[in-house]
Amino acid sequence: MPRDSEDRSFRYPLKWRIMDGLNAALDLLWPRRLGRYTGWALLTPALLLVGILVLGLFQIAENSLHTLDTSTFLPGEEYTLANYRIIAESPTYWRIVWRSLLGAGLTVFFTLLLALPYSYIMVRTNKAALRKTLLIVLFLPFFIGQVVRAYGILIVMGSSGAVNDALGLVGIEPIRLLFNFPAVVFGLVQYMLPFAVLMLAPALTAIPRETETAASSLGANWVKVFRHVILPMAKPGLVGAALVVGTLSLTDFAMPAMLGGGSQDFIANAIYDQFFRTADQGLGSALALLLVALGSVIAGVVIAFFGAGTLGMRGRK
Amino acid sequence: MTNGSPSERAISPGKSGQSTAVRVRDVTMDFGNGALAVSNASFELETGKFLTILGPSGSGKTTLLRMIAGFETPTSGEITVNGKPVDSAPPHRRSIGMVFQKLALFPHMTAAENIAFPLKMRRFNPKTIPRRVDEFLDLVKLGGYGNRRINELSGGQQQRVAIARALVFKPELLLLDEPLAALDVKLREEMQLEFRRIQHELGVTTINVTHDQREALVVSDDIIVMDGGRIQQHAKPVDLYRAPDNAFVAGFLGVASFINGHAVPGGLTSGENFLSGTHAGNFADGTAVRGAVRAEQIRIAAESGQLAACDTRLTGTVRDTIFEGERQLYVVATDELPGITFRVYHHDPESFGLFEIGTRVMIGWNARDMKIFEFRAS
Repeated sequence: MPRDSEDRSFRYPLKWRIMDGLNAALDLLWPRRLGRYTGWALLTPALLLVGILVLGLFQIAENSLHTLDTSTFLPGEEYTLANYRIIAESPTYWRIVWRSLLGAGLTVFFTLLLALPYSYIMVRTNKAALRKTLLIVLFLPFFIGQVVRAYGILIVMGSSGAVNDALGLVGIEPIRLLFNFPAVVFGLVQYMLPFAVLMLAPALTAIPRETETAASSLGANWVKVFRHVILPMAKPGLVGAALVVGTLSLTDFAMPAMLGGGSQDFIANAIYDQFFRTADQGLGSALALLLVALGSVIAGVVIAFFGAGTLGMRGRK
Repeated sequence: MTNGSPSERAISPGKSGQSTAVRVRDVTMDFGNGALAVSNASFELETGKFLTILGPSGSGKTTLLRMIAGFETPTSGEITVNGKPVDSAPPHRRSIGMVFQKLALFPHMTAAENIAFPLKMRRFNPKTIPRRVDEFLDLVKLGGYGNRRINELSGGQQQRVAIARALVFKPELLLLDEPLAALDVKLREEMQLEFRRIQHELGVTTINVTHDQREALVVSDDIIVMDGGRIQQHAKPVDLYRAPDNAFVAGFLGVASFINGHAVPGGLTSGENFLSGTHAGNFADGTAVRGAVRAEQIRIAAESGQLAACDTRLTGTVRDTIFEGERQLYVVATDELPGITFRVYHHDPESFGLFEIGTRVMIGWNARDMKIFEFRAS
């Protein structure tokens, strides 16, 4: 450190002085002895946010216990489980629940199937250009948003869209690609792929290349390396990705609404209909709680069997 | 112990001692980044021998090993293992066991599962696998640890699992890619002796790569010293130490002091001083040369009378004293050769701490102990 007597013109860089000033100001506002509460202070905003969500959930639970009084179009006074009975006795709702579960399951399966090789190549390639291209291609749709993307699919896969045009070139009659269950799953997979790749890439990065080299030197061909080394070691990423993709698909609204054309409702669409079409808040709330319960139970079972994967910090691999 | 210990089944050492296991011929590797990673390397290794490729980082030793393993293909030249070109089969069909620098154990398997892995992959009879695994757990002194997961084992135990896994399928060749580099000194020395014992017991041809000269001297039958992508010398450990071919080898093994000068008959001249030494090779008078004297071959004394037997004697001052436990190191600057600091080992416990910093001393050595090499700027 230069002495004043030697060099009076010396000044620390501006950035350092600003940082020092900020530090001093912080010491005034939040003295050191409060240090052990810093964590809680930082956590408070998030806790408040989640708290509001929980409050809302209680409100919804309360709502679900009142049936709609058809004479006044207001929720009735007395507490009843009638809404739940309606859901349980309605084949339509059973079908919607089943469709949501199946759709989410298929989406998880196909998304992971596509995301695993995608992220593997992205992580392992030696070519920086290829890695960047894969990243950009992956994230471009992120900036577009779900609804616009669904519109894009509508245009491309419509009866006079590019896909049917291409099929026409090889002599295939236009086929209906939209407004059916596969279209919804297709849209969901397309939507979920970046999430899955994002969750898988770190898990695959964590597998040392040397481990694969070792496995092959020990006698494993690439299929066996994949099955006995990469797959088990990537499990945290696979579980994490499956949980995220599964919950997001199960609760998705836009894809079933737009690509299903009203015929392929998921639970979220049914909830929307109750709240904003028939204005039956009670039934809508019951459906919402059912969705929360379904999602929680599935996530709970997965975590119990496979661990939380990359979502759980202290979970075992 | 089961009957039929690994040693009985293995290829017995010595018996096939004359056959060549590994032949490397004019191998060059060019990664296209200016310098050649490996340049014109050639050597042969007899079956059952333990060879160490020794060199500083960036010397090309690991590249050479990876080419022998078949993970890299040489730009030119040929590598054969037991007569067959190494790249004639894909990696998983080669009979080469390898212990990696970071071990590369499978964390999702137990120690026994790790060792069983190559046996399963290579379709050994499933009934014999558990016994073979136990046999090799015993061989590496991990009997009873088979059910431990990898992260429940200590560093040394993980080393042992990695060795057992690389050897359990009886490969023709074992490659060690600096697996001991990450261990602390005590454990490293213990594992060096373990490598030696296991290698002797199984008689498997082994190539080890390291930058640790001590490890190379301890474990090897043969040592190749590499620098700048070139093989500098290939010799038995004792010969390598006693008769280095060039100044790099002299400096890399052990601790030496160097004097640059010009060749004259019977020694070299540095400035106005004549220093007697032994020429390693024939060079004309006036050739730029570099003399090397090992620290343990320099005598140090308070007065010249005690150094009467030395051919060369210099006067100097102790600049530093470093006590290393089993020996004392003195750093001495001489009046005659002011640019050079001499490093002198003193091995007699009685006289440890004899000279303090600033003490005037005499140092000296015999002509046969100063090797004079042709000077190569590098």
